[in-house]
Amino acid sequence: MQSVDLNSVKSFRCPSNYFFTSVGKKLVMGISGLVWAGFVMGHMAGNMLMFISPGAYNSYGHALTSGGLIYVVETVLLTALSIHVFFAVWLTVDNRRARGSQGYALSQKGSKGASIASRTMAAQGSLILAFIIFHLITFKFGPVYETTVNGVQMRDLHRLMVEVFQQPGYFAWYVFCLVLLGVHLRHGISSIFQSLGVLNSNNQATFQKVGIVYAIVVSLGFLSQPISVFLSR
Amino acid sequence: MKDHTLKLKLKVWRQASSKTLGRFVEYEASEVSTHSSFLEMIDQVNEGLIKKGEEPITFDHDCREGICGSCGFMINGEAHGPLKGTTVCQLHMRNFKDGETLTIEPWRAQAFPIIKDLMVDRSAFDRIIAKGGYISVDTGNAPDANSLPVPKPDADDAFMSAACIACGACVASCKNASAMLFVSAKVNHLSLLPQGGVERPERVHSMVAQMDAEGFGACTSTGSCSASCPKEISLSNIAKLNRELLFSALTRRQAPSGDGV
Amino acid sequence: MTKLNGQVPSGSIEEIWNNHKFNLKLVNPANKRKHSVIVVGTGLAGASAAASLGELGYQVKAFCVHESPRRAHSVAAQGGINAAKNYKNDGDSVHRLFYDTVKGGDFRAREANVHRLAEISTTIIDQCVAQGVPFAREYGGLLANRSFGGAQVSRTFYARGQTGQQLLLGAYSSMMRQVEKKQVELLTRREMLDLVVIDGKARGIVVRNLLTGALESHVADAVVLATGGYSNVFFLSTNAMACAVTATWRAYKRGAFFANPCFTQIHPTCIPVSGELQSKLTLMSESLRNDGRVWVPKAKGDKRQASQIPDSERDYFLERIYPSFGNLAPRDVASRQAKFRIDEGHGVGPTGLAVYLDFRDAISRVGKKAIAEKYGNLFEMYEKITGENPYEMPMRIFPAPHYTMGGLWVDYNLMSTLPGLFVAGEANFSDHGANRLGASALMQGLADGYFVLPYTLGNYIAQKAKDNVTIDHPKFKEAEQNIRLQIQTMMKIKGSRTVDSIHKELGRIMWEYCGMSRSEQGLQKALKQIPELREKFWNDVQIPGSENDVNTELEKAGRVADFIELGELMCQDALERNESCGGHFREEYQTPDNEALRNDQNFCHVAAWEFKGEKEKAQRHIEDLNFENVKLASRSYK
Repeated sequence: MQSVDLNSVKSFRCPSNYFFTSVGKKLVMGISGLVWAGFVMGHMAGNMLMFISPGAYNSYGHALTSGGLIYVVETVLLTALSIHVFFAVWLTVDNRRARGSQGYALSQKGSKGASIASRTMAAQGSLILAFIIFHLITFKFGPVYETTVNGVQMRDLHRLMVEVFQQPGYFAWYVFCLVLLGVHLRHGISSIFQSLGVLNSNNQATFQKVGIVYAIVVSLGFLSQPISVFLSR
Repeated sequence: MKDHTLKLKLKVWRQASSKTLGRFVEYEASEVSTHSSFLEMIDQVNEGLIKKGEEPITFDHDCREGICGSCGFMINGEAHGPLKGTTVCQLHMRNFKDGETLTIEPWRAQAFPIIKDLMVDRSAFDRIIAKGGYISVDTGNAPDANSLPVPKPDADDAFMSAACIACGACVASCKNASAMLFVSAKVNHLSLLPQGGVERPERVHSMVAQMDAEGFGACTSTGSCSASCPKEISLSNIAKLNRELLFSALTRRQAPSGDGV
Repeated sequence: MTKLNGQVPSGSIEEIWNNHKFNLKLVNPANKRKHSVIVVGTGLAGASAAASLGELGYQVKAFCVHESPRRAHSVAAQGGINAAKNYKNDGDSVHRLFYDTVKGGDFRAREANVHRLAEISTTIIDQCVAQGVPFAREYGGLLANRSFGGAQVSRTFYARGQTGQQLLLGAYSSMMRQVEKKQVELLTRREMLDLVVIDGKARGIVVRNLLTGALESHVADAVVLATGGYSNVFFLSTNAMACAVTATWRAYKRGAFFANPCFTQIHPTCIPVSGELQSKLTLMSESLRNDGRVWVPKAKGDKRQASQIPDSERDYFLERIYPSFGNLAPRDVASRQAKFRIDEGHGVGPTGLAVYLDFRDAISRVGKKAIAEKYGNLFEMYEKITGENPYEMPMRIFPAPHYTMGGLWVDYNLMSTLPGLFVAGEANFSDHGANRLGASALMQGLADGYFVLPYTLGNYIAQKAKDNVTIDHPKFKEAEQNIRLQIQTMMKIKGSRTVDSIHKELGRIMWEYCGMSRSEQGLQKALKQIPELREKFWNDVQIPGSENDVNTELEKAGRVADFIELGELMCQDALERNESCGGHFREEYQTPDNEALRNDQNFCHVAAWEFKGEKEKAQRHIEDLNFENVKLASRSYK
């Protein structure tokens, strides 16, 4: 029996090394993902103000960006995202190596195969990352229209949003990415509970459902926005 | 129970050794009885090959009753074939249709190098067990077996985890070649029992470290391991391992010097 | 013929083992590390021996043919392990287990060994529980028990239908712990092909590396063989494909005596053969007979479905013939009665070679759920193999070769006639006489490995003179050379017969003439046919591939060559034992109601065979058996 010399591997003596085990890395992924899962839910809910009035929507945007809190939130989000992406790349590289260069001639199907959602998390993640960047370019760093609500001068994000979502190209891209986000969340949420170790055989089905419901709420909530704009063209 | 014979086309991975390249070779299996097991069907093909002086298809197998864990390969992309909760030796040909083409491949994973044809080296599993898959008790005067009651639900759960046969289907079917189902089953079997409690933090830590060192991938919760598992080991074992390792990272005390061995 | 001495110390049977343990010489802890032990086989007996010897401090080398020790066939034992714990308060005791085992073995086992086994049985359970073996438990958290054949008490501990697997994992993990501590060196995928004897003592082995084909020599102060039984001589048996006689057979050829080779056990409850191409038989645990009722239709050739046959037209023959043990009659008895019914034309199923094992009454008594909890995985296995649902129609079962009580002769210390060669588990002949009781094999394997060998092997090593034998000794070179030659000879034949086809032919001869019942005429026939088959093998076998590579056909060929020789010895042994006892049923010797008729006058002994040369007839030696604590009586389960 040839043996792998563990001494050649850095010894895992200090608890912080936990985060560099394959299990620890997953927990990091889970927690950083959870931050974003929370954020998208909040983001989606806030954006629902567009259905009340453009003013409400713009005031909400204005309130968020004025004051220092935004910087804290942005720092947390950016850090979580960086960690999430960094560990995702790391894990993906490790996992590809573990799988080996020779793949199977036939991929899994049938009852023993994994769902497409779970098998393509890395690809979904990459697309979502691209989406986030484009989304920031489109909105955060996009054209600045001005408007006044209740005497306060602020950015007219509502106008920008309507302009963007009325273009079929943008519209299709958003629909695609928001569905993708739902798919990513669906596997991600239940996976977080797995990584945190709170799943057991009794609550497994429940957490699966929590994942699905959460993903559907976020995804459909977001989708309602571009769809309503596009349909009212 | 209908008794008839099948004619099948097989595409079998043939590879002379770990150092040479492999390829698919096509064979025809005719007159296959529906009563035969999958391995008996391959035996039949092999008899034909041997008679022609050709080398038979090499595969690991032993008990042929689904318990030793020796056999296993992919059939049409599925570990141990299409039936759930079964090993290839217990998979009977009545589950296939006449005229089907079957693609047969070995387990593929960096940590399971191919030895020959469908035979792979799974000794990584033994090395993981050697790092802590036991309760450190020497042979001797153990206390009376009934001096330590174990709640039945715990004993039953421990048994369910202990039922793992280390066939490697979990690794083979996982897109990341992760051994988490195997490792977690052993960790949970022992940690669920009071006897195994003392070593809990150390055990999970050492076994996971060895698992990583062997080059298995990480779990991304796709669930194909459990779906392919002939003993239907539950995915919740992995969640429990995650919890155990976190608990271990927070509580594990270091031996003063050496390992106290 | 010489009379062998089992080296049993004198004294009252309750005290022998305790006193003996005290009298055995010890090896100082610091000296143990200077001594090496080879353990061949890593099933229950081998793994437990390797682990325990490693814990004591010996340098152990453990060998197995499998890729991992955990694949050993002990893994397949389903039903359970006996122990005289008397947790059920049903009257069990060490003496009762001892008595049941001696009687179950039809008075052909050594009393002192059996008593020791019964004493140790309780400690085994303690040890296994401490290791974390997940035995079945009651709701109060204490261990559960069930009954097995040949006993009227519930003394069998179990882990669903996977007791062997769980016990093996316990022993295997203990051994892996010693591997990690470098006390045990594990050498997998190695097949022992010769024993090296130097100055009359066993000093090492030569193995073939099954991955590279290389021959490797290993030296040690003592050698333990724990290589299992030889039921595969029948080709179709419940044994795993790699189970072989090769290790013990080659030791026999080097001078160890082979005892009672004709004592083989045919297990009554196996799934019947379904076709020519079948490669092995699957056992259905004996524990099923706790709730299942065995029957055949009263009318011959009754082709109705089981459910169409009313109770009045069913013959529950075990309950009828053995009212006090009923369906839990011992294996040899149950198998034989099934065979009689089938021979009379009452067999069921498409081939007529089966009897029913019916759960209808148990299901209506305790409900489907309770039955599923007890036997669920066995029922599933049955359905997977046969495609029939045993909850709805009775199982069809047929007897099949399962275990071999015969094996290398060992004395009370488990040492063979070759000093330094110890034999443990199924590979030795010691404890089960002419028939083994259910759930006793696991007990014996673990007793030998955990609690006997660590003492008796130390005694041998303590008395052994120091020397400097290494693998450069000419005997090692000679052994390697012989094996190389044998392999090359086999590879060169390039005939027209596959190894399996010859093995099947051997199996048919053995099953027909040396199976469930034997006769002088049949055995003579077999003794004529086997040498012919041997010729066929050595002139016409076809082994493709190379000897310097993984070559499973070459591995099988070596094993089949040994099985052919063993088959001959089995028939010879069966022929010379002019009596019926346990699993050995000679048609000439039976009572008026077809029970085995022992001949204690002439055969109350162990027959141990000595190898005298390739073409020579083996020589029969005997060890007299004395029954001082269990009265020799005709065995009755009525």
